[in-house]
Amino acid sequence: MEIEDWAASSAGSSDSEVTLPDSDNEDHCYAYGDLPKLQFRKGGSKARWKEELGMAEIISNKGRMWITTGIMRSGKLYSFLEDTLFMAEIGALHLLDEMDKRIPLEDIYKKVAEGVGGSSWESFEVYRHLKSLGYIIKRHGVCWSMKHDKNVPAFVEGESENGSEERVSVTEITELLSTMQIKDARLVFDVYPPNSKFRKSNPGKPMFILCINSGNPPTKKQIKDLEGQCEGIPLKFCYVEHGRVSFFSFNEIELAVLP
Amino acid sequence: MGPRWKGKGSELKALANPISNSISDLQSSLIESNSQGILSGSTVLLATNPQQTDLLNQTCFGRPVITVDKPNQWFQFSLEEAFYLYHSLKCIKIVDGNHNIKTVNELWDYMVSKRASFPDFFKAYSHLRVKNWVVRSGCQYGVDFVAYRHHPSLVHSEYGVLVFSDGNGNRNGNDRLRVWSDFQCTLRLCGSVAKTLLILHVNRNGEDVICSSPSCLDGFSVDEQTITRWNPERCREDQAAVN
Repeated sequence: MEIEDWAASSAGSSDSEVTLPDSDNEDHCYAYGDLPKLQFRKGGSKARWKEELGMAEIISNKGRMWITTGIMRSGKLYSFLEDTLFMAEIGALHLLDEMDKRIPLEDIYKKVAEGVGGSSWESFEVYRHLKSLGYIIKRHGVCWSMKHDKNVPAFVEGESENGSEERVSVTEITELLSTMQIKDARLVFDVYPPNSKFRKSNPGKPMFILCINSGNPPTKKQIKDLEGQCEGIPLKFCYVEHGRVSFFSFNEIELAVLP
Repeated sequence: MGPRWKGKGSELKALANPISNSISDLQSSLIESNSQGILSGSTVLLATNPQQTDLLNQTCFGRPVITVDKPNQWFQFSLEEAFYLYHSLKCIKIVDGNHNIKTVNELWDYMVSKRASFPDFFKAYSHLRVKNWVVRSGCQYGVDFVAYRHHPSLVHSEYGVLVFSDGNGNRNGNDRLRVWSDFQCTLRLCGSVAKTLLILHVNRNGEDVICSSPSCLDGFSVDEQTITRWNPERCREDQAAVN
């Protein structure tokens, strides 16, 4: 197609050597008026934004997306800001405030700008990139679902396996989310492979844990420290520049002794 | 990425002719002829007989220098290659322009004066050679070395190698690949010639910051790390096929 060719040549590069493992096909320069427009879906879900949690509580969930999105607490479904924004951007979610008034997209972007609920624009871009490809993504350090008896506070966090759960109150959750922003290289998401049979009640192990580096690439020591927190699950690093997300793995190897 | 052998029979040929054998033959031959290299700038020049020419070509030490000088063939070696032959294989002596045979300390001082990171580079080079990998300069590919499983005519190179000097002084970042565009650049280069990026982290483990003699190399350690790009689009296709 003409526009794409022009874009490729103006972008300049095309190695003539062996193989290029990644393609430049996503580099489209759009002529004015050609930007794709997403259609608002009919019968989208509804959610109410909970300021004190930094999360949205889903009031009515429509569609299969919720099987792989959001966390369950005491039978209720909650979504982080990136889940919420992703759904809102594609027209699958109406977000309401406490007065049941619709929160426009602009205000949701502003929440991200403020870093509400431990979010950031960069981490949202990473989330959106992977989510659009079908990967299943969850904040690291948070369980998919937990059930409770009626004596327990409405919102808790901790291990979901056996009965010994750490119960924390709503304010501690908000503190947890705010500390997520302090460190530069931190474990941000648990990523699961695309899976039509995914169940939050039995998610299995993540495919990898993702660390987002906004500053400089990690040193060997930083990598080692972070790997130590991953409990054997592979670690990947990514960074975002100008809307492009790049992923890297650092692998310790033992080079063979040859004959 | 496993080894990519070139053509049929290459793998078998490689197995039948282990690099270690060729190196051992080279070593004997050079010792027998009392070979002496000439130190010139950052290069050592060596005259070789036909057998040595063959063995040097088989093991990829040095580059031939084209001359009309018969029957001698001339080779030129990098400082790492020369020092490996001199100090690790102990099969050549090295002289200066005045025919003086250099002592090990003289050579060491000279090479370190040419490049402060020579100890780390040499440690990395010898780390690979000791494991019988064929190591050549990587400057065409924007890396320090390229490593082959056997002779380049039989197999494509597997690794583009960068040498990191770790743990020297207080540094919060890497001394190479400091910013993300460095990664992108190097990975793209490696990827387009189908090599994996291999980082050799050389740790001096507290040896003198000024490494005053080659014996300090014994205290160095080398950690191997590869850096690979992950492509979520590609991976997902593989995943879909599995599911």
